[in-house]
Amino acid sequence: MAEGSRPAEVRVPAPQGLTIDATLVAQGLLNGVLFGGVFSLMAVGLTLIFGVMRVVNFAHGDMMVWGMYLAWLMATRAGLDPYLGFVVCAAALFGLGFAVQRTLVQRIVDAPHEMQILLMLGVALVLENTALLVFGPEPQRVRSALAQSTVWLGPLFVDVARLIAFGVAALLAVLLWLFLFRTDLGRSIRAAADNAYGALVIGTDVRRVYAVAFGVGAACVGAAGALVSPLLPFQPPTGLQLSVASFNIVIIGGMGSLVGAFVGGVLVAVAESLGAVFLRPSLKELVSFSLLVLILLFRPAGIFGRRAP
Amino acid sequence: MTRVAVVAAVIVLVALPLAPSLFGSYAVTLFTLIFFYAFLGQAWNIVGGYAGQLSAGHAAFLGIGAYTAAVLSVEKGLTPWIGMFVGGALAALLGALVGFLGFRFGLRGFYFVLLTVAFAEICRIVASNTEAIGGAVGYYITFTGDPRQLQFQDARAYYYLALVLMLAVTALVGVLERGRFGVYLSAIREDESASEALGVDTFRYKMLAMVLSSFLTGIGGAFYAFYVFSLQPASVFGIPLSVEIIIRAIVGGAGTVLGPILGSFILSPLAELARYYFAQSGWHGAHLVVYGLLLIAVVLFLPEGAYPRLARLVRRRVAGAA
Amino acid sequence: MTQHALTRRTFLTTTVGGAALVAAPRVLRAQPKSFKIAAVHPVTGPLAEPGQACRLGAQLAVEAVNAAGGVKGKGGLQLELLTGDTQSKPENGRLESERLVNQGAQMLMGSFDSGSTAAMVSVAQQKRVPFLIDIAAADPITANVAKAVKDGQQKLQYVYRNFPTGSSFGRKAVQYFTEIFAEAKLTPKRVVLMYCNDLFGVNQSRGFLAAYKAAKPAWTLLEDDVIPWPEPPSDLSTEVSKLKALRPDVIAPITRPASAQLLLPEIRKQRVEYLGIVGPGSPGLYEAGQIAVLKDDLEYVMASNPWPNFRNPKTQRLAEDYQKRSNGRLFDTNSGYSYDAIFIIADVLERAAKLDDPDAIVEALQKTHYTGGLMQYGGPIHFNEVGDNPNAIPTMIQVLKSKPVAVWPKEAALQKFVFPRPKA
Repeated sequence: MAEGSRPAEVRVPAPQGLTIDATLVAQGLLNGVLFGGVFSLMAVGLTLIFGVMRVVNFAHGDMMVWGMYLAWLMATRAGLDPYLGFVVCAAALFGLGFAVQRTLVQRIVDAPHEMQILLMLGVALVLENTALLVFGPEPQRVRSALAQSTVWLGPLFVDVARLIAFGVAALLAVLLWLFLFRTDLGRSIRAAADNAYGALVIGTDVRRVYAVAFGVGAACVGAAGALVSPLLPFQPPTGLQLSVASFNIVIIGGMGSLVGAFVGGVLVAVAESLGAVFLRPSLKELVSFSLLVLILLFRPAGIFGRRAP
Repeated sequence: MTRVAVVAAVIVLVALPLAPSLFGSYAVTLFTLIFFYAFLGQAWNIVGGYAGQLSAGHAAFLGIGAYTAAVLSVEKGLTPWIGMFVGGALAALLGALVGFLGFRFGLRGFYFVLLTVAFAEICRIVASNTEAIGGAVGYYITFTGDPRQLQFQDARAYYYLALVLMLAVTALVGVLERGRFGVYLSAIREDESASEALGVDTFRYKMLAMVLSSFLTGIGGAFYAFYVFSLQPASVFGIPLSVEIIIRAIVGGAGTVLGPILGSFILSPLAELARYYFAQSGWHGAHLVVYGLLLIAVVLFLPEGAYPRLARLVRRRVAGAA
Repeated sequence: MTQHALTRRTFLTTTVGGAALVAAPRVLRAQPKSFKIAAVHPVTGPLAEPGQACRLGAQLAVEAVNAAGGVKGKGGLQLELLTGDTQSKPENGRLESERLVNQGAQMLMGSFDSGSTAAMVSVAQQKRVPFLIDIAAADPITANVAKAVKDGQQKLQYVYRNFPTGSSFGRKAVQYFTEIFAEAKLTPKRVVLMYCNDLFGVNQSRGFLAAYKAAKPAWTLLEDDVIPWPEPPSDLSTEVSKLKALRPDVIAPITRPASAQLLLPEIRKQRVEYLGIVGPGSPGLYEAGQIAVLKDDLEYVMASNPWPNFRNPKTQRLAEDYQKRSNGRLFDTNSGYSYDAIFIIADVLERAAKLDDPDAIVEALQKTHYTGGLMQYGGPIHFNEVGDNPNAIPTMIQVLKSKPVAVWPKEAALQKFVFPRPKA
């Protein structure tokens, strides 16, 4: 390659020269599954917000970054481990979500789609740059005692931190399911999601329900942020990549479906991980986007979604 | 409304062309970017505003137009004045593909938005990994100032070029709006199922809107390449650029002829002012917080966009005066 | 973060001034009371961290020059820094430089990311404003201008760069690798290159691979098994699994701060065995913030980066000052090169025949032979036929006892390098 000039041939992505053996593939699979749990947690909050309100929350990733910064604050100032502190993050973001919904989103529920998008873009800008002002631009990561260890299954390694995040994500998904299907408030939320007019007719305070739904979705995102904060370095612009990943997962898994968010997260992470095994890793996101396109075309409701667009 | 029309005509035909000789080059650059983003916003407006098919991936078309014109100029010596149309054509091809997939498979609303985002991201990733066009390092254009290469030693030439682009596309949209095409697009935007039921070939008109929109955006991409002299996949195909394209049209009023122009004239100077205001302070990011609050304020207080509200105000004044 | 208070005066001047400035025609080039330099960096957006460091470095330098009496040869002329933010968007590179030139800036400086820098080049050439690039590594930025001048399409080159280019980074890195391995009496046969697939990472890796091919050293780089990842990454576990499967003896990473925070712990967790981590040159492997987050994972990691010359007592004093003003950050590559750029400009202004003629400034710039730089250079600062400084070179630094320290070449080293890394 000559200095400073571009080579004439197009380099087609090709498998690496190393031997791709069963161990590598198995490890890739395992990495994907575990990281998928983490991804799922992000998506659960979004699926609730969109499933109920049909609002495209472009500020989703930025809300999660704030959850991560809050976890970092608590870890550095109060010495609170994020695996315990995530409750506080969830509560704080519930408040943020509730407030955003009541003051902003509620007013544009019936507005044209482009206005909804514009609103959430504005919120995203404000969240990202307030984080920049307050916390500065350097990437941070939370140190947690639990996040340092690994467990070995023969030649395969398991990252304990991801295992825990996966477990807590599953637990939260179960709790959320219980909330939505076994409590009155949860049932109201689902009713409002399915048929807002009908819910109004039977006397549901739809506005309060929406605010709670948004708040709960934001709380999930806050918890996700806290649980992910030892795993993923974050800085104010990280919000965008998290938003895009979350949308991918929610569409693939199925909008409005908790199981879908979970399975979608695992699926996307596994797809990217295997993409990194078989291709140049810098192309791995291509796999998840291609998967997204295929789902959009052939099963837009997603794997577990019930409602077609 | 004639008084308004006269004022508008004066501005367009007299003041804007004269401005560069009166104003310094900073104002010229600022206006060039205002016109350019108004052009892009208007191109988006065709499919996003009038047809109501929100695309958040228009950077893909800009990027394709930009890279095509740039590569053809540097590698093959093809003048970008022709290269821009080749770029536009390739962008239109991608637009046709995205449109076909989206509309044939019945994707609407949020799902279509995400399809367009996915395609823009795919373009970005492929470009970042393609050595022949520079990969992630990007493609660099030598500054020669040669007009045959769509470059100008005097920045005022860019101003006029951008002004012409903006006026031309606005005139195009104005004509389309009044014609059958515009009527059909509005019907599709308001209620697609009903339009279908009434016999409108919604697929055909949406496709036409998409192809036209992407073609024009591709041409804009060529202008962009020869204005900033380097192309990086992350900026040229990136989501932030797609966002910049659509917010002007939305703020000004999507689906109106003057919306994108008004939106650009509102947002660009305000963004500049905010940046200038906070420039010497150590509060990095404050100007973007202000920008974000501005967008929120627009949505809350001008929910149809700036232009419709303005038009109503003017009408009321005129009616009141009559 | 340094926060300048928004005084009422600032408020008034900016609001009133702002309105007038947009419409005002170009400021006449009369004899100025201060010489205005425009420093354009990405202080917001994804490159905010280095961008803010650059700006602070430039501000400190301007204060230092003025405190020492300004440009003495021109009657003690003071320097004034006008700052701009590109947000890493190329068109803002144009817009901000235009704005600042309109406010009277007579020289440009910036702008870290090659996209915005290339956009500023067109402004510099169009408006004939000398432009000293403090940081940007893509080779074509200056090379293209030089070529245009040679081909007669431009009269004069206004763009100069005081920073290593991607190819010079690569050549030096290969040279240091060879020398260090030879000194340690080892010949690694499985050096694996891993890099972030963004502008910086790809530029660096290209330079490194090209230099390796040209030099044909005794050690072996696995050229067909490089591992690029998308930047910024969410997860590098599979990339590291691939690395492990390659059984490396030396790992050569090109990272950004965020990816370094993912990569290094992953290497440890997956128990990859290796002799040492030696980077061809990238951020993320030495900053104070990185050391605070990564702690032991960064110990013994080497990277070939442009580095301040800490043997110079002036540099040490400045580093302390910088740490205070930046709330604890280290004086390093970014702040350092912006700092030196201002001093080079001051030196140019001393020697320029006339300050109101950009061509006279360029003439002085071309004749630069400056030895007062605080960064580690391979010789006096001067500019070659392409406009680059061939003496802008990196230094191999190593994190030892949680502090980054120069370890190679010998004339720059403050401590001896540790390679291979000791077994834990």
